[in-house]
Amino acid sequence: MRGPVAADFASYAAFYASDATEFISGPLDLAAAWHLFASDAGHWALKGFGWWTVTENGVPVGCVGLHHPPDQADIEIGWNVYDGARGRGVAREAAQAALNWAVNEMKAQRIVSYISDGNAASIALAERLGATRLPERAIHDASKAIYLHDLTRYAT
Amino acid sequence: MPTSTIPLIETKRLVLRGPEPDDYPNFKATFASYRSRFMGGPLNPYETWMLYAAEIGHWNIRGYGMWMIHHRDDGRTLGMAGGWFPAAWPERELAWIIWPQEAGHGYALEATHAVRGYLYDALGWTEAVSYIDPKNLDSIRLAERLGAVKDPEAATIDGNDAVYRHPSPERLKSGQLRDGIELEISHYADPLFKPKGMPID
Repeated sequence: MRGPVAADFASYAAFYASDATEFISGPLDLAAAWHLFASDAGHWALKGFGWWTVTENGVPVGCVGLHHPPDQADIEIGWNVYDGARGRGVAREAAQAALNWAVNEMKAQRIVSYISDGNAASIALAERLGATRLPERAIHDASKAIYLHDLTRYAT
Repeated sequence: MPTSTIPLIETKRLVLRGPEPDDYPNFKATFASYRSRFMGGPLNPYETWMLYAAEIGHWNIRGYGMWMIHHRDDGRTLGMAGGWFPAAWPERELAWIIWPQEAGHGYALEATHAVRGYLYDALGWTEAVSYIDPKNLDSIRLAERLGAVKDPEAATIDGNDAVYRHPSPERLKSGQLRDGIELEISHYADPLFKPKGMPID
Protein backbone atom coordinates (compact mmCIF):
# COMPACT_ATOMS: atom_id res chain seq x y z
CA MET A 1 0.00 0.00 0.00
CA ARG A 2 1.36 3.38 -0.99
CA GLY A 3 0.13 6.83 -1.93
CA PRO A 4 -1.40 7.13 -5.40
CA VAL A 5 1.03 7.93 -8.24
CA ALA A 6 0.36 8.88 -11.85
CA ALA A 7 0.95 5.34 -13.11
CA ASP A 8 -1.97 4.08 -10.99
CA PHE A 9 -4.54 6.11 -12.88
CA ALA A 10 -5.17 3.72 -15.78
CA SER A 11 -6.40 0.90 -13.53
CA TYR A 12 -8.28 3.38 -11.32
CA ALA A 13 -10.10 4.86 -14.34
CA ALA A 14 -10.91 1.39 -15.69
CA PHE A 15 -12.43 0.43 -12.35
CA TYR A 16 -14.50 3.63 -12.14
CA ALA A 17 -15.73 3.11 -15.71
CA SER A 18 -17.12 -0.31 -14.74
CA ASP A 19 -20.47 -1.31 -13.29
CA ALA A 20 -18.68 -2.45 -10.12
CA THR A 21 -18.96 1.19 -8.98
CA GLU A 22 -22.76 1.29 -8.94
CA PHE A 23 -22.81 1.75 -5.14
CA ILE A 24 -20.11 4.44 -5.05
CA SER A 25 -21.58 7.01 -7.46
CA GLY A 26 -20.14 5.38 -10.58
CA PRO A 27 -19.63 4.68 -13.37
CA LEU A 28 -17.50 7.78 -14.00
CA ASP A 29 -16.13 9.08 -17.27
CA LEU A 30 -12.43 9.74 -17.68
CA ALA A 31 -12.59 13.39 -16.59
CA ALA A 32 -14.63 12.61 -13.46
CA ALA A 33 -12.39 9.67 -12.55
CA TRP A 34 -9.29 11.84 -12.86
CA HIS A 35 -10.83 14.51 -10.67
CA LEU A 36 -11.60 11.92 -7.99
CA PHE A 37 -8.13 10.37 -8.32
CA ALA A 38 -6.51 13.80 -7.88
CA SER A 39 -8.74 14.42 -4.84
CA ASP A 40 -7.61 11.10 -3.35
CA ALA A 41 -3.98 12.13 -3.79
CA GLY A 42 -4.55 15.63 -2.37
CA HIS A 43 -6.46 14.33 0.66
CA TRP A 44 -3.16 13.55 2.40
CA ALA A 45 -1.96 17.15 2.33
CA LEU A 46 -5.29 18.50 3.55
CA LYS A 47 -5.98 16.03 6.36
CA GLY A 48 -2.80 14.09 7.09
CA PHE A 49 -4.49 10.89 5.95
CA GLY A 50 -6.00 9.72 2.70
CA TRP A 51 -6.02 6.98 0.10
CA TRP A 52 -3.53 4.27 -0.67
CA THR A 53 -3.12 2.33 -3.87
CA VAL A 54 -3.12 -1.35 -2.96
CA THR A 55 -0.58 -3.26 -5.01
CA GLU A 56 0.22 -6.93 -5.44
CA ASN A 57 3.71 -7.56 -6.86
CA GLY A 58 3.79 -3.89 -7.84
CA VAL A 59 0.52 -4.03 -9.79
CA PRO A 60 -2.43 -1.92 -8.54
CA VAL A 61 -5.31 -4.21 -7.49
CA GLY A 62 -7.43 -1.71 -5.62
CA CYS A 63 -7.45 1.26 -3.32
CA VAL A 64 -8.23 1.73 0.32
CA GLY A 65 -8.53 5.01 2.11
CA LEU A 66 -9.37 7.07 5.13
CA HIS A 67 -11.64 9.77 3.86
CA HIS A 68 -13.14 12.83 5.50
CA PRO A 69 -14.71 15.45 3.23
CA PRO A 70 -16.54 18.18 5.13
CA ASP A 71 -20.06 16.85 4.50
CA GLN A 72 -19.35 13.57 6.33
CA ALA A 73 -19.83 13.42 10.07
CA ASP A 74 -17.00 10.94 10.67
CA ILE A 75 -13.77 9.72 9.17
CA GLU A 76 -14.68 6.92 6.81
CA ILE A 77 -12.67 3.94 5.67
CA GLY A 78 -13.45 2.89 2.12
CA TRP A 79 -12.16 0.10 -0.07
CA ASN A 80 -12.31 -0.80 -3.75
CA VAL A 81 -10.90 -3.94 -5.31
CA TYR A 82 -10.42 -4.08 -9.05
CA ASP A 83 -11.72 -6.69 -11.42
CA GLY A 84 -9.64 -9.87 -11.31
CA ALA A 85 -8.44 -9.37 -7.73
CA ARG A 86 -11.71 -9.99 -5.89
CA GLY A 87 -12.42 -12.98 -3.66
CA ARG A 88 -8.87 -13.33 -2.35
CA GLY A 89 -9.18 -11.20 0.78
CA VAL A 90 -7.32 -8.22 -0.71
CA ALA A 91 -9.79 -5.67 0.65
CA ARG A 92 -9.83 -7.25 4.09
CA GLU A 93 -6.06 -7.29 4.37
CA ALA A 94 -5.77 -3.71 3.11
CA ALA A 95 -8.57 -2.43 5.33
CA GLN A 96 -7.04 -4.05 8.41
CA ALA A 97 -3.69 -2.46 7.60
CA ALA A 98 -5.35 0.93 7.11
CA LEU A 99 -7.30 0.64 10.37
CA ASN A 100 -4.16 -0.43 12.17
CA TRP A 101 -2.38 2.67 10.84
CA ALA A 102 -5.36 4.87 11.73
CA VAL A 103 -5.42 3.68 15.34
CA ASN A 104 -1.71 3.56 16.04
CA GLU A 105 -0.28 6.35 13.87
CA MET A 106 -3.02 8.96 13.57
CA LYS A 107 -4.64 8.02 16.91
CA ALA A 108 -8.12 7.91 15.40
CA GLN A 109 -10.95 7.59 17.93
CA ARG A 110 -13.86 6.78 15.64
CA ILE A 111 -13.98 5.39 12.11
CA VAL A 112 -17.04 4.35 10.17
CA SER A 113 -17.93 2.99 6.76
CA TYR A 114 -20.93 4.39 4.91
CA ILE A 115 -22.36 1.56 2.81
CA SER A 116 -25.38 1.31 0.51
CA ASP A 117 -27.91 -1.36 1.48
CA GLY A 118 -27.47 -3.28 -1.77
CA ASN A 119 -23.69 -3.46 -1.54
CA ALA A 120 -23.55 -6.98 -0.13
CA ALA A 121 -19.82 -7.45 -0.66
CA SER A 122 -18.90 -4.37 1.34
CA ILE A 123 -21.43 -5.12 4.08
CA ALA A 124 -19.97 -8.61 4.41
CA LEU A 125 -16.47 -7.18 4.72
CA ALA A 126 -17.54 -4.59 7.29
CA GLU A 127 -19.07 -7.41 9.34
CA ARG A 128 -15.97 -9.59 9.00
CA LEU A 129 -13.93 -6.63 10.24
CA GLY A 130 -16.14 -6.56 13.34
CA ALA A 131 -18.01 -3.35 12.51
CA THR A 132 -21.42 -2.71 14.08
CA ARG A 133 -24.32 -1.45 12.02
CA LEU A 134 -25.78 1.67 13.69
CA PRO A 135 -29.53 2.33 13.66
CA GLU A 136 -29.24 5.80 12.10
CA ARG A 137 -28.53 6.58 8.45
CA ALA A 138 -25.66 8.66 7.07
CA ILE A 139 -26.44 12.38 7.38
CA HIS A 140 -24.84 13.24 4.03
CA ASP A 141 -26.55 10.42 2.15
CA ALA A 142 -29.65 8.70 3.52
CA SER A 143 -29.20 5.77 1.12
CA LYS A 144 -26.25 4.62 3.22
CA ALA A 145 -26.06 2.79 6.50
CA ILE A 146 -23.35 3.53 9.06
CA TYR A 147 -20.99 0.75 10.15
CA LEU A 148 -18.92 1.66 13.20
CA HIS A 149 -15.52 -0.06 13.29
CA ASP A 150 -14.23 -1.73 16.45
CA LEU A 151 -10.92 0.04 16.92
CA THR A 152 -10.02 -1.89 20.08
CA ARG A 153 -8.96 -4.74 17.78
CA TYR A 154 -6.10 -2.66 16.43
CA ALA A 155 -4.77 -0.98 19.56
CA THR A 156 -1.31 -2.17 20.49
CA MET B 1 4.75 15.64 -3.38
CA PRO B 2 4.11 17.44 -0.12
CA THR B 3 2.90 20.97 -0.80
CA SER B 4 5.95 22.32 1.05
CA THR B 5 8.20 21.09 -1.78
CA ILE B 6 6.31 23.07 -4.43
CA PRO B 7 8.68 25.74 -5.77
CA LEU B 8 8.23 29.30 -4.58
CA ILE B 9 7.80 32.01 -7.19
CA GLU B 10 8.24 35.64 -6.23
CA THR B 11 7.24 38.76 -8.13
CA LYS B 12 7.26 42.44 -7.22
CA ARG B 13 3.97 42.33 -5.28
CA LEU B 14 3.27 38.59 -4.97
CA VAL B 15 4.55 35.34 -3.50
CA LEU B 16 3.28 32.13 -5.12
CA ARG B 17 3.34 28.95 -3.03
CA GLY B 18 1.81 25.53 -3.05
CA PRO B 19 -1.81 25.40 -1.83
CA GLU B 20 -2.00 24.70 1.92
CA PRO B 21 -4.93 23.56 4.10
CA ASP B 22 -5.04 27.03 5.73
CA ASP B 23 -5.59 28.67 2.34
CA TYR B 24 -8.92 26.91 1.84
CA PRO B 25 -11.47 29.47 3.17
CA ASN B 26 -11.13 32.01 0.33
CA PHE B 27 -11.08 29.24 -2.26
CA LYS B 28 -14.27 27.88 -0.73
CA ALA B 29 -15.97 31.28 -0.68
CA THR B 30 -15.04 31.91 -4.31
CA PHE B 31 -16.30 28.54 -5.56
CA ALA B 32 -19.50 28.95 -3.59
CA SER B 33 -20.06 32.30 -5.33
CA TYR B 34 -21.21 33.44 -8.73
CA ARG B 35 -17.59 34.31 -9.44
CA SER B 36 -17.02 30.62 -10.25
CA ARG B 37 -19.74 30.43 -12.89
CA PHE B 38 -17.22 30.05 -15.72
CA MET B 39 -15.25 27.36 -13.89
CA GLY B 40 -17.95 24.78 -13.27
CA GLY B 41 -19.41 26.52 -10.21
CA PRO B 42 -21.02 27.49 -8.01
CA LEU B 43 -20.19 24.28 -6.14
CA ASN B 44 -21.62 22.78 -2.97
CA PRO B 45 -19.32 22.30 0.07
CA TYR B 46 -18.45 18.69 -0.83
CA GLU B 47 -17.65 19.54 -4.45
CA THR B 48 -15.58 22.55 -3.44
CA TRP B 49 -13.52 20.56 -0.95
CA MET B 50 -12.94 17.75 -3.43
CA LEU B 51 -11.83 20.30 -6.03
CA TYR B 52 -9.37 21.83 -3.57
CA ALA B 53 -8.03 18.35 -2.78
CA ALA B 54 -7.70 17.79 -6.53
CA GLU B 55 -5.76 21.07 -6.90
CA ILE B 56 -3.20 19.63 -4.48
CA GLY B 57 -3.37 16.11 -5.91
CA HIS B 58 -2.62 17.56 -9.35
CA TRP B 59 0.88 18.42 -8.07
CA ASN B 60 1.41 14.82 -6.93
CA ILE B 61 0.24 13.37 -10.19
CA ARG B 62 1.71 15.81 -12.73
CA GLY B 63 4.59 17.43 -10.86
CA TYR B 64 3.08 20.85 -11.51
CA GLY B 65 -0.23 22.48 -10.76
CA MET B 66 -1.89 25.61 -9.45
CA TRP B 67 0.05 27.91 -7.11
CA MET B 68 -1.67 29.86 -4.37
CA ILE B 69 -1.12 33.59 -4.91
CA HIS B 70 -0.27 35.54 -1.74
CA HIS B 71 0.20 39.27 -1.35
CA ARG B 72 3.77 40.00 -0.34
CA ASP B 73 2.74 42.69 2.17
CA ASP B 74 0.43 40.71 4.45
CA GLY B 75 0.45 37.16 3.09
CA ARG B 76 -3.28 37.12 2.37
CA THR B 77 -4.38 34.90 -0.51
CA LEU B 78 -5.57 36.53 -3.73
CA GLY B 79 -6.32 33.57 -6.00
CA MET B 80 -4.52 30.80 -7.87
CA ALA B 81 -2.55 30.50 -11.09
CA GLY B 82 -0.61 27.69 -12.70
CA GLY B 83 -0.61 24.68 -14.98
CA TRP B 84 -3.70 22.49 -15.19
CA PHE B 85 -3.88 19.21 -17.09
CA PRO B 86 -6.53 16.73 -15.97
CA ALA B 87 -7.40 13.69 -18.05
CA ALA B 88 -9.53 14.56 -21.10
CA TRP B 89 -7.88 17.98 -21.49
CA PRO B 90 -6.54 18.23 -25.07
CA GLU B 91 -3.44 20.25 -24.08
CA ARG B 92 -1.75 21.58 -20.98
CA GLU B 93 -3.54 24.66 -19.76
CA LEU B 94 -2.37 27.85 -18.14
CA ALA B 95 -5.17 28.75 -15.72
CA TRP B 96 -5.95 31.44 -13.15
CA ILE B 97 -8.63 32.56 -10.74
CA ILE B 98 -8.72 35.66 -8.54
CA TRP B 99 -11.02 35.95 -5.52
CA PRO B 100 -13.81 38.42 -6.33
CA GLN B 101 -12.81 40.92 -3.64
CA GLU B 102 -9.25 41.08 -5.00
CA ALA B 103 -10.11 41.71 -8.66
CA GLY B 104 -9.00 44.79 -10.51
CA HIS B 105 -5.41 45.13 -9.29
CA GLY B 106 -3.62 43.19 -12.01
CA TYR B 107 -2.79 40.28 -9.70
CA ALA B 108 -3.85 37.65 -12.26
CA LEU B 109 -1.67 39.30 -14.92
CA GLU B 110 1.35 39.47 -12.64
CA ALA B 111 0.92 35.93 -11.29
CA THR B 112 0.11 34.26 -14.60
CA HIS B 113 2.99 35.99 -16.39
CA ALA B 114 5.31 34.67 -13.68
CA VAL B 115 4.02 31.09 -13.69
CA ARG B 116 4.05 30.98 -17.48
CA GLY B 117 7.70 31.97 -17.38
CA TYR B 118 8.36 29.24 -14.80
CA LEU B 119 6.54 26.54 -16.78
CA TYR B 120 8.42 27.54 -19.94
CA ASP B 121 11.88 28.07 -18.44
CA ALA B 122 12.07 25.65 -15.52
CA LEU B 123 9.75 22.86 -16.71
CA GLY B 124 10.43 23.11 -20.43
CA TRP B 125 6.90 23.69 -21.66
CA THR B 126 6.97 24.68 -25.31
CA GLU B 127 3.27 25.49 -25.57
CA ALA B 128 0.33 26.45 -23.39
CA VAL B 129 -3.33 27.21 -23.98
CA SER B 130 -6.13 28.60 -21.86
CA TYR B 131 -9.66 27.20 -22.17
CA ILE B 132 -12.07 30.06 -21.55
CA ASP B 133 -15.84 30.34 -21.58
CA PRO B 134 -16.64 32.79 -24.43
CA LYS B 135 -18.83 34.74 -21.99
CA ASN B 136 -15.95 35.18 -19.54
CA LEU B 137 -14.86 38.55 -20.88
CA ASP B 138 -12.48 39.33 -18.01
CA SER B 139 -10.49 36.17 -18.66
CA ILE B 140 -10.50 36.64 -22.42
CA ARG B 141 -9.18 40.14 -21.93
CA LEU B 142 -6.51 38.83 -19.58
CA ALA B 143 -5.47 36.14 -22.08
CA GLU B 144 -5.11 38.84 -24.72
CA ARG B 145 -3.09 41.08 -22.40
CA LEU B 146 -0.80 38.08 -21.85
CA GLY B 147 -0.32 37.88 -25.63
CA ALA B 148 -2.50 34.81 -26.16
CA VAL B 149 -4.46 34.56 -29.40
CA LYS B 150 -7.69 32.68 -30.02
CA ASP B 151 -6.96 29.41 -31.85
CA PRO B 152 -10.14 28.35 -33.65
CA GLU B 153 -8.48 25.17 -34.98
CA ALA B 154 -7.46 23.78 -31.60
CA ALA B 155 -9.44 21.02 -29.88
CA THR B 156 -11.71 22.26 -27.08
CA ILE B 157 -12.62 20.53 -23.81
CA ASP B 158 -16.30 20.08 -24.59
CA GLY B 159 -17.17 22.47 -27.39
CA ASN B 160 -18.35 25.19 -25.01
CA ASP B 161 -14.96 26.82 -24.48
CA ALA B 162 -12.68 28.97 -26.62
CA VAL B 163 -9.00 28.07 -26.88
CA TYR B 164 -6.46 30.87 -26.44
CA ARG B 165 -2.91 29.92 -27.41
CA HIS B 166 -0.10 31.59 -25.50
CA PRO B 167 2.95 33.04 -27.21
CA SER B 168 5.88 30.62 -27.47
CA PRO B 169 8.83 30.73 -25.06
CA GLU B 170 11.00 32.21 -27.82
CA ARG B 171 8.56 35.05 -28.49
CA LEU B 172 8.34 35.83 -24.79
CA LYS B 173 12.06 35.97 -24.19
CA SER B 174 12.37 39.58 -25.27
CA GLY B 175 10.80 42.26 -27.35
CA GLN B 176 7.71 44.40 -27.41
CA LEU B 177 5.29 41.76 -26.13
CA ARG B 178 7.24 41.03 -22.96
CA ASP B 179 8.02 44.69 -22.40
CA GLY B 180 4.34 45.58 -22.78
CA ILE B 181 3.22 42.96 -20.24
CA GLU B 182 5.85 44.01 -17.73
CA LEU B 183 5.08 47.68 -18.26
CA GLU B 184 1.42 47.04 -17.54
CA ILE B 185 2.29 45.05 -14.40
CA SER B 186 4.54 47.88 -13.22
CA HIS B 187 1.74 50.36 -13.84
CA TYR B 188 -0.53 48.39 -11.53
CA ALA B 189 2.11 48.57 -8.83
CA ASP B 190 2.46 52.30 -9.41
CA PRO B 191 -0.95 53.96 -9.02
CA LEU B 192 0.23 57.02 -10.98
CA PHE B 193 -0.67 55.09 -14.13
CA LYS B 194 -4.09 53.78 -15.01
CA PRO B 195 -4.22 50.07 -15.93
CA LYS B 196 -5.59 48.98 -19.29
CA GLY B 197 -7.55 45.98 -18.03
CA MET B 198 -10.67 46.68 -16.02
CA PRO B 199 -12.76 44.08 -14.23
CA ILE B 200 -16.41 43.67 -15.05
CA ASP B 201 -17.35 42.17 -11.71
